[in-house]
Amino acid sequence: MIRVLFFGPVAERIGARELELPCVAGMRLQALIEQLSAQHPGAFDIVSFIAVNQTQVHDTQLPLNDGDEIALMAKFSGG
Amino acid sequence: MNKPVRIQQEDFSQDAEIAALKASSLRIGGIATFLGCARDFSEGRDVSEISFEAYGSMALAEMNKLRAEAIATFKLIDARIVHRVTTVQAGDNIVFIAAAAEHRAAAFDACRWIIDELKQRVPIWKKEITPQGEAWVTPHP
Repeated sequence: MIRVLFFGPVAERIGARELELPCVAGMRLQALIEQLSAQHPGAFDIVSFIAVNQTQVHDTQLPLNDGDEIALMAKFSGG
Repeated sequence: MNKPVRIQQEDFSQDAEIAALKASSLRIGGIATFLGCARDFSEGRDVSEISFEAYGSMALAEMNKLRAEAIATFKLIDARIVHRVTTVQAGDNIVFIAAAAEHRAAAFDACRWIIDELKQRVPIWKKEITPQGEAWVTPHP
């Protein structure tokens, strides 16, 4: 399974803080983004950062592995 | 002694953080600090409370990286970063940064760099609670 986490404004738009998705062999980050953005277009309007296993990533062709933790995040506003 | 990088609900003591820094070395010649606190007014509206949410594990890891990078880049002797994640009222403390160096220039530069980078890199979000309703904050440059 792949664990997808949402926080703050994104969680509010998705209506959930966490989703679990089956990990399909050969699955890439882009496929996960496409799947979720089709289901929750309003939330993806504000997704600016993606982290895989707590490290920010920019390459959406990154292959995903079973047990990965993905976070789809709005711009940060701490401090 | 508390860890130098923390995310916590409870308030912090600037005196305790500075004392911890000073205890780390007698070579410190200057400590620059930044205290972020909650305003009661934002974007033309009264703000009664600010609620924070964090991706805790990643936020803490990023803050530890920031501290290590600041120490290496500015040749600091030590640095501390504490961010509260809870609901605060106007006037309450939010974030504290202290940078200790042999001389003031490095301490000032590092302190400014750390808070600027924290805002860009650390996954924490704030929601302002106003009499008219609640709104997640859109970051300023």
